[in-house]
Amino acid sequence: MGLPSPRTRRFDRVKQEMVRDAVAENLATIAGLVPRAGRRTVRNSWLGWALLAAVAIFLVGTLKPTSAGRGTPQQQETANFTLAARPDQASPNPGTLPALEAPRAIDPALFRLAVRRVVVDPGHGGSDPGAMMRGMREKEITLDIARRLATLLRAGGFEVVMTREGDETLTLHQRVKAANAAKGDVFLSIHVNSIPEPTRRGVETYVLGPTSDPQIERLAGAENSVSGYSLSDFRRLLEGVYVDVRHDESRQFAQAVQRRMFAALRRVNPELDDRSVKKAPFVVLVGTEMPGVLTEVSCISNEEDARLLRLSEYRQDIAEALAGGVRAYAAARGRDATVAQGGPERK
Amino acid sequence: MPPLAAGMPPWRRAARSASEAIERLDTNVTKEKNSVLHLGIDLGTSRSSVSASNGERHVVESYIGWPVDMVARKLVKKPVMFGREALENRPMLDLHRPLERGLIKEGSEKDELAVRELIRHLISLTRPHDGQRVLAVVGVPAEALRVSRQHLRNAVKGVADSLMIVSEPFAVAYGMDALLHTMIIDIGAGTTDFCVMKGRYPTEEDQRTLLYAGDSVDEQLATMIRTRVPEAQFSIHMVRAWKEKSSFVGEPNGTVEVTVPVGGKPTNIDITTEMKRACESLLPPIVEIMVDLVSRVDPDYQETVRHNVILAGGGSQIPRLAKALEAALANVGGGRVTPVEDPIFAGANGSLAIALDAPESDWEKLPG
Repeated sequence: MGLPSPRTRRFDRVKQEMVRDAVAENLATIAGLVPRAGRRTVRNSWLGWALLAAVAIFLVGTLKPTSAGRGTPQQQETANFTLAARPDQASPNPGTLPALEAPRAIDPALFRLAVRRVVVDPGHGGSDPGAMMRGMREKEITLDIARRLATLLRAGGFEVVMTREGDETLTLHQRVKAANAAKGDVFLSIHVNSIPEPTRRGVETYVLGPTSDPQIERLAGAENSVSGYSLSDFRRLLEGVYVDVRHDESRQFAQAVQRRMFAALRRVNPELDDRSVKKAPFVVLVGTEMPGVLTEVSCISNEEDARLLRLSEYRQDIAEALAGGVRAYAAARGRDATVAQGGPERK
Repeated sequence: MPPLAAGMPPWRRAARSASEAIERLDTNVTKEKNSVLHLGIDLGTSRSSVSASNGERHVVESYIGWPVDMVARKLVKKPVMFGREALENRPMLDLHRPLERGLIKEGSEKDELAVRELIRHLISLTRPHDGQRVLAVVGVPAEALRVSRQHLRNAVKGVADSLMIVSEPFAVAYGMDALLHTMIIDIGAGTTDFCVMKGRYPTEEDQRTLLYAGDSVDEQLATMIRTRVPEAQFSIHMVRAWKEKSSFVGEPNGTVEVTVPVGGKPTNIDITTEMKRACESLLPPIVEIMVDLVSRVDPDYQETVRHNVILAGGGSQIPRLAKALEAALANVGGGRVTPVEDPIFAGANGSLAIALDAPESDWEKLPG
């Protein structure tokens, strides 16, 4: 066999570089770094380091220790931490530094923020009854569960702000406005599902994100129908929404709620399905400036779920499960930080 | 072996690549005396396959089921079932298809466990020796890698001695040496992944994912049949089997007839029109993304890319799909679309090629 041609050698080199990049991407994932996909790797570039430093300065200047977009950080919160650049990042030396890797993802746990104020949003209300079936209306079920949840959370030391206290008509815009004005730390919107297939049942929790599932699109369309937003408002909201630490937080919150809800309700409703945490573009999650989830606590379209929803004990179980989810998230979130005044029960 | 012919389309190097892989394989056997087993795994929404450096190749349907109770466990006589066996025993099982829509369902520990068990099962099928180091490259739908990279990594923790995760279209391209001016369209069950290879490791801008793929065709087909014959009783698994047997685009070769219970009585239904419409529903979104991605390539190379479009994944087996895509490319200057020869193992073989090419020093850095 003769010597490989320059073309073959070049081709082999390309393959070696690709394998090296694949390995680097895996190592970045293992290290918890933002994977490099989406950007060309800039190697040994002083410009890259300069850009990274500029981004870091920008983040220090603009990141608030509270949920994104909340205005001036509260003094009590800012006093507890300082964002200092690590020496190796603050003064990069382009001659000796290793290849520029993707910037480290911001771990929200670094901020050690407590969850004090919970915004509870009972879905629908007033002239918007939500799903109606078997003589029950979604707006009444959600309000009942929300009231029970508020009682439980207050007993645990949380402040609770309800978007509606009675049978009132509220647009989604008004709900969002109320939640943001209350400066809630988390937002929990309560809904009851209605699925075309009557045999399907279960609990599911949504965080904001795109979906291509036609059923979820239908559900989001129905829940978004009384939004009160203009198209330009909506575009503006969407522009800022995907660049937010809030997303990871919302997912963690959703997982805490979903796990508690499924574990608790399965005990009284053994046939229940875990319909898991999903993404959907609910308007109410787009506009709120805090980690937020929308939970569908049962399926009114299912005969057995509907029977259970009539029982106050079952609605109490749901409220307790939701409270458990909030507590679990708050406990994980606050870590060593002081949680609510008086401290909610940690599990 | 002679050097590669200048001007040869990169994907045509596939055969060359296979013989090179065999050479590497022989070298491995000699040098390492079977102390290391390299694996390439294609973890798909519908099917998963594995190619191993010891020559083992296996494919299983991506279903995992656990007996629902003690009675079921006694009946099925296994703690966990995989693939076709799981599907056939589904009434007695808690059945999971963990990569629905190309992603691990979040918040579902069972689905994470299912992914882990499925990979363990695939590894066990390759029969590694006791004490043999297993170095695995797992190709996953590009969307899974993009959206739940960390999640996926955690799910597969500990299944091999060292493990690397790559995107499926990249694995296919790598395995075929289609690394330059080539577009891979990988039509899976949950997603259709697009990747333009530009002689570098693909970045986000080189890739697209369409959440319209084989499963969407199944849903369309089921809806259309149900609309026409509302009393017909069938499951989505039956629809999937019909599609796999009789899918097509363009003109049919004959009628597509299936037998289903209607009011409890087995009845033949002609679903030719529904099959055609469901399969052809794939075309508009694929054409749109394909043309858009070509338009983003450097103008000097657009024509080359148009003539090097490779169809991979289960969807590539739909008869005349490649021709239909070529017809669409004719509107933008013409092109050539070629289905891979071995759609079941193209991804696994590509992952195996990456596994064999990764230097030992890199494997040492990667945990299992």
